[in-house]
Amino acid sequence: MSRVRGTRGSTLPGRVALKICPRFLRLAVRQVRRGVVMVTGTNGKTTTNNMVAGVLESAGYRVIANREGANLVWGVAAAFVAGAGAFGRIKADFATLEVDEASLPVVASHLAPDLLVVTNFFRDQLDRYGELDRTVELVQRAIGKLPLTRLVLNADDPLVAQLGKGENKTLFFGLAQTVRLTATVQTREARFCPACGRELSYAFYHYSQLGDYRCLTCGFARPGAAVEGQAVRGGDRLEFTVRWPAGQTSVSLDLPGYYNVYNALAAFSVGVALGLPEKAMVEGLARFAPAIGRMERFSHRGRPVYLNLVKNPTGFNESLAAMLTGSGTKDVFMAINDNDADGRDISWLWDVDFEALARDPAPYLSFTCAGIRAQDMALRLKYAGVPVELIRVIPGLVEGIEGALAGRGALVYLFSTYTALWRSQAILKEVLARGEEPATGLAERRRALR
Amino acid sequence: MQRLKWRHLPVEVAEVALGQDADFEEFDVLFLGGGSDREQDIMAADLKSRRDGLGRAIEAGVVVLAICGGYQMLGHFYRTAGGREIPGLSLLDLHTVAGPRRMIGNVALELELPGGVAWAVGFENHSGRTFLGRGVRPLGRVVAGNGNNGSDGWEGARYRNVFCSYLHGPLLPKNPLLADHLLQLALARRGEGQTLSPLDDGLENLANRVMYERVTRAGTRKGPSGRR
Ligand SMILES: [Zn+2]
Repeated sequence: MSRVRGTRGSTLPGRVALKICPRFLRLAVRQVRRGVVMVTGTNGKTTTNNMVAGVLESAGYRVIANREGANLVWGVAAAFVAGAGAFGRIKADFATLEVDEASLPVVASHLAPDLLVVTNFFRDQLDRYGELDRTVELVQRAIGKLPLTRLVLNADDPLVAQLGKGENKTLFFGLAQTVRLTATVQTREARFCPACGRELSYAFYHYSQLGDYRCLTCGFARPGAAVEGQAVRGGDRLEFTVRWPAGQTSVSLDLPGYYNVYNALAAFSVGVALGLPEKAMVEGLARFAPAIGRMERFSHRGRPVYLNLVKNPTGFNESLAAMLTGSGTKDVFMAINDNDADGRDISWLWDVDFEALARDPAPYLSFTCAGIRAQDMALRLKYAGVPVELIRVIPGLVEGIEGALAGRGALVYLFSTYTALWRSQAILKEVLARGEEPATGLAERRRALR
Repeated sequence: MQRLKWRHLPVEVAEVALGQDADFEEFDVLFLGGGSDREQDIMAADLKSRRDGLGRAIEAGVVVLAICGGYQMLGHFYRTAGGREIPGLSLLDLHTVAGPRRMIGNVALELELPGGVAWAVGFENHSGRTFLGRGVRPLGRVVAGNGNNGSDGWEGARYRNVFCSYLHGPLLPKNPLLADHLLQLALARRGEGQTLSPLDDGLENLANRVMYERVTRAGTRKGPSGRR
């Protein structure tokens, strides 16, 4: 059991340290020599934070980071414990920490960050924080208490851009109008101006509410992006140009997913804000390997298998969009749980544009629906217009993943909600390690995985 | 809508925008949803100006499905925690009072439909407690979960062809008998009394049954009379 759970970012050391010394975080952060970066927002926190760590390391710095996404107070403390040497001495130049939106006020009050990155605000599991408006307000109030912190904000998201606080304290990043790689049809999260409540008008938009917006009533509009991505190309890997006040360069990422361009731009902006050399950003990003379940790539009998975490409509839509760019036949696995950490209300699945799969069903060989809410996922696909004969309900994760991998598709995509992710990864690794092994021993290994 | 398409019955969905003219009596089915507090306020203000038209449509037998905020809005008022009464449309004899805690979770119901008893499942998330007056009937009996107010054992409201509920998840796909009942009523109003052709509801019934069994196994609340 513990083996299968694998290396799930443990928060236990953090809990212990905070228990021993409540001021642990305040003391620990004093030993970080150069600065603290925090990353918050709905989607892309883990990837952005790890990209920031990569950029800093490329510049030759020692970095403390909560790389596996444990982003509540305990997880942040655990990152410091892990970074501490003998006698609790922390030898790091930078700490870069992803922080859950709801935890930001507490964490930021303990360790006032030098830089705060806000990626985006999308509707997340509704029953966790209440409403999106409340989340934005939480972050806004936390920022109000950080007068010295510089902000790195997504200019394309009106909900994020409104947090800006004056030119020398805010660096905006964004995407210029580019051809969208593929499109899913989506409802925008914020049709209304955050300043005056009237409907926003868009010159173009990339996905969800991200784009070039303007309020015709009060004049609130997308701020100019000091760090701007242009000419995005690619499918399995991404290439794009970054332009910033001091230069222009091309960046390549060894991972799919249009949304990852935003994550990379955020990390690039941190580098710009800290005055790092261009080379550190370009190399740090080029070397970047995704964390667990962030379009994590595996190989099964010579074909790529992707494992991706899904937790809200926008994230799922962007994951589907990334899948649409993969060429070849596909077997798809979707594990949907409704534990507290997943969000107990799964009605958000009805806001995901699965209809995009039905518009061009030819590449899909099978859809395996697993997890506690396997049946709901299957029903959602049926309503989206996915041919019923392609839909299989196999609640067990082991049987479901084996089923998906038994398909003949050229590509396999596994989507999983939070609480099914670590088990799915462990099962996947186990099945891949098993390789071509004969069927004997299978039952035994299956038992071990349960 | 899908259930009509699957039967090859023509269907058209119109979204009535804020301030846009609409004769509600021309529609077969009206849907009133919920939203965030801010969206709710905008929608309530818009519906105020349409109250009479909506009332005429309801009396004329138009099928209406109102969920959560849309449900509350049809009643007499919503009383806030501070005791202030926000007037509703007063089209249905019910009112809502803000409660001390949010009622969040899975719900299972027993519904009386023309064909017999049906079991419905869904998810509720509301802090308002709704109480029904004499002029309306409940939609169903709570088997697990809170329902209208967490105390009287009822969920939702029915009046003529209006169906109100706190359940989303969403409500209709997983409860095909209820969905078909609504469609049947809409067809009957048009004088098209044909029975709907049966569909393969294998996945629908599976999703319904699995959740019903899970929710009632963990059952948090007994029925109105305390019996199971
Ligand atoms: Zn405005």
